Amino acid sequence: MPSITVNGVEIELDDDGFIIDPDLWNEDVAKAFAASEGIKELTEDHWKVINYLREYFKQYHIAPMVRKLCKETGCSLKYIYELFPSGPAKGACKLAGLPKPTGCV
Amino acid sequence: MPEYKGMVQPVRATPDEMRKIHIEPVPDEEKPQKALEYLDEIRKKFRSFVLAMESCTKCGQCAENCHTYLGTRDPNNIPTNRAELIRKIYRRYFTLEGRWFGKLVGAEDISLDIIEQWYSYFYQCSQCRRCAHVCPFGIDTCEVTFIGRQILHWLGITPKLHASVGAAMERVGNHTNLPKPGIVDTLEFMTEEIMDEFGVEVEFPVDKPESDIMYIPSSADFLLNPYTLMGAGMFFTYIGANWTIPSTVTEAGNFGLLFDQYYTQRHNVMRLLNAAQDLGVKKIVWGECGHGWRAAKMYIPSLADRPVRWPITHIHDEVADMIRKNELKLDPAKNSQPVTLHDPCNYVRACGLNENMRVIMRACVSDFREMEPHGMDNFCCGGGSGILFDDPEMYQRRIQLSQKKADQVRATGVGKNGDGILCAPCSICKAQLYPMVEEHELGVEVKGLIDLVGKALVWK
Repeated sequence: MPSITVNGVEIELDDDGFIIDPDLWNEDVAKAFAASEGIKELTEDHWKVINYLREYFKQYHIAPMVRKLCKETGCSLKYIYELFPSGPAKGACKLAGLPKPTGCV
Repeated sequence: MPEYKGMVQPVRATPDEMRKIHIEPVPDEEKPQKALEYLDEIRKKFRSFVLAMESCTKCGQCAENCHTYLGTRDPNNIPTNRAELIRKIYRRYFTLEGRWFGKLVGAEDISLDIIEQWYSYFYQCSQCRRCAHVCPFGIDTCEVTFIGRQILHWLGITPKLHASVGAAMERVGNHTNLPKPGIVDTLEFMTEEIMDEFGVEVEFPVDKPESDIMYIPSSADFLLNPYTLMGAGMFFTYIGANWTIPSTVTEAGNFGLLFDQYYTQRHNVMRLLNAAQDLGVKKIVWGECGHGWRAAKMYIPSLADRPVRWPITHIHDEVADMIRKNELKLDPAKNSQPVTLHDPCNYVRACGLNENMRVIMRACVSDFREMEPHGMDNFCCGGGSGILFDDPEMYQRRIQLSQKKADQVRATGVGKNGDGILCAPCSICKAQLYPMVEEHELGVEVKGLIDLVGKALVWK
């Protein structure tokens, strides 16, 4: 089982590198994921997207519609791809500690 | 990176993930023997499979008609050779000449390597049935890969994507793990979006008892395809329908068709019929989903565990019917960009939606250009049967598998000015084509057909 170690804590990941237990997420985990995604630094806009995803997930146990994510954060889809090169689902959701989206997405 | 002796393979579900969908993985050393037992059981049941095993003359007609072969040029991706991966085993154990003369007649012993080869090649086939359409004997290789995937599933070999979809369906009633509060929140958001963009009040009733129509959207619409949801809501509102979306089965797809036609596919059907009964509906209308519509239209009658009291229609049939009766006012000028249509394989080669999609298209857009070939002769988008694998190796394969589609779109010229629309009214097609139109730089935006209906509606 793949894992990453953040601040001395070993965190289990699935085969796609998504966190298995969302409760183990913290900001340093997001930073560690950022490095593995080739994101140099997490800017204010990165955090805006990550925090929105986390809040939404906490309430609804699912990621929001991509259109809603864009609208609520004020980031266009193109800009989200600039922030998270793997895109909203495979990039932003991973950094926010959400499970990998499944189905026809 | 999943690879077995040089063959690409999708990431597979873990033993625990298989148990969640009621399969106890067979230990490797027992797999060959078990595979034979399952094959024997299945061959006695399906004449379509035996036809494919016994009748092929290797004429080669299927080769250049398969987008997977055209994109990869791997001889095992020629439909007849793909079927041969199982035919050589069938011949060895279930025919007289194979038992007597073995390799001399192209028969081969079963082994773990063969099973791994099945896994690689049966999941590169998108089960589009274009080979069946051109085969002079009517051999349907899709029936062969259906059965190959079923045997693999019983052995405990299923792609992680398909297994997680099966588990999500059983847990919450849709493929994307959407719980009811998430469904309601997204639909409320759609109501706001419709008001902002079109100035129309549209409600999306969820679990409303005594509704006439139960609409079954694809759950991917809740994450990726807002205009497909909005278009459906606007259409039902426009015609004044008493309709609802069931939260217990918010899913037009049925991945059971694609990897487990026993438990998974049947379970989804029962779930649907329970919802229809509980909500007291009079009719079930299906959303945009290719394989799911085939599973609904062609399989529910034989899989249902009770009399099916409800007519089941596709939203395209409903819209086309209204257009024919002159009951919808649509303005094609509202969709003035150049548009081409990608025919979802299951719609045109399994469900007869060909003409109705065009009735809608002609009424809703002003610059419609057919790609060639189209309709029943179309090529698959390359993602058919849910082979939407996204690890780097398999993603590269998806680019190859969509090459033929990219060539077709480019030849229409719709993306020449960067403002074209590629209409692909199926969730798998959409999920495949969103990234593929970028990879191939086609200058088009991917949309559903109901998306275009919603935009073209003229409100009183």
